[in-house]
Amino acid sequence: MEPIDQIMQHDHERLDQLLEQGAEAVSQGAWPEAAHLLETFRHGIVDGHMAVEESTLFPAFERQKGDEAQSLTALLRKGHQDLRIFFEEMAEAIQEQDAETFDDLLSTVQTILKQHDAKEENELYPILATALTDHGEAAGRRILDFEAEAES
Amino acid sequence: MSEYHGCELLEDLFYDLDYVWVRPEEDGTLTIGITDPAQTMSGRLQKARIKKVGTHLEAGRHVATLESGKWAGGVPVPFAGEVMDRNEKLLEDPHLINIDPYNDAWIARVKPDDPAHALDNVSTGNVAIAALEEWIKRYGVQCMRCSE
Ligand SMILES: [Fe+2]
Ligand SMILES: [Fe+2]
Repeated sequence: MEPIDQIMQHDHERLDQLLEQGAEAVSQGAWPEAAHLLETFRHGIVDGHMAVEESTLFPAFERQKGDEAQSLTALLRKGHQDLRIFFEEMAEAIQEQDAETFDDLLSTVQTILKQHDAKEENELYPILATALTDHGEAAGRRILDFEAEAES
Repeated sequence: MSEYHGCELLEDLFYDLDYVWVRPEEDGTLTIGITDPAQTMSGRLQKARIKKVGTHLEAGRHVATLESGKWAGGVPVPFAGEVMDRNEKLLEDPHLINIDPYNDAWIARVKPDDPAHALDNVSTGNVAIAALEEWIKRYGVQCMRCSE
C-alpha cells in the first residue's frame, strides 16, 4: 500500500476531477448527469475523505503536536463545515437548473479546496505516518475502499 | 466593549461563537455580520456575495460568501428566515468588512420565521465573550483593524 500522505493527496486529485466533470456537465446542461456526478463527489469527499480526516487524521495530528496544532485543525474543520453547506447549495442549484448560481458556488468551493488541500498537504499529511500507530494503514484502507466503490 | 489580542468584542451583540454576530432590531428583524477576529482571520476581503432580498434561508445556510486572496468561506445564519435587506455597499467594496465589521459593514437583515426561538443558538454577554476569547486563542488570531 502507498504511504498515507500519498493516498490522501491522490484522493484530493481524484475528487477535484470529479467536481470538474460535474461542472462540465452543468455547462452542457446535462442536468441528470451533473446531479449524479455531484452526488458521487459529495459522497466521496464528505462521507469518505473528510470523515477519515476528522475521525482519525486530525486527532492524530493534535496528539502529536499538542496545542499548536489547534489553529490548523480548527481552520480545517471550519473549512469542512462550510464546504458541506456549499455542496448542498450546489446540489440545489443543479436541481433548479440554475447554472449561474452553480458557477458562483463552484468558484468559491474551488478557492476553498485549493487553500485547504494545500494546507493539509504541506502541514498535516507529511507527519501522519509517524503520528499514527499503524502508520496510517487503516485510514489509507478506508480511503482506497471508497475509491474502489466509486469506480465500480 | 472588551478587547482581547487586539480584537474588539461587543457585549451587547449575540454570537454564534464562530464567525457571526447578530443584533436584534426594533422592527423584529435581525442584523447579521462577522466579528472582528473573524474578519482578521479572513484577510483583506476582495469579494462578497450576499443572498438577494426575499431569499428564504434555513438555519445554518449561508447568507453571504466572502473571499480574500487567501481565504473563502460562508456566513451562516443561526436561524431560519427571509432576507429583508442587504448591505449593497459591501458588494462594491467588501474590504469595508475589514474596517468596520460591527457597524458600517453589517451584511444582511433577516426576518426570523420563529421570532421566539431565533436567538436559541446564539450567546451574548460574558459567556459569549469568554467563548470568543477561547476562539481567538484557538485560531491564534491577533487583530489589527484596517483604517482604510
Ligand atoms: Fe480536509
Ligand atoms: Fe483532505
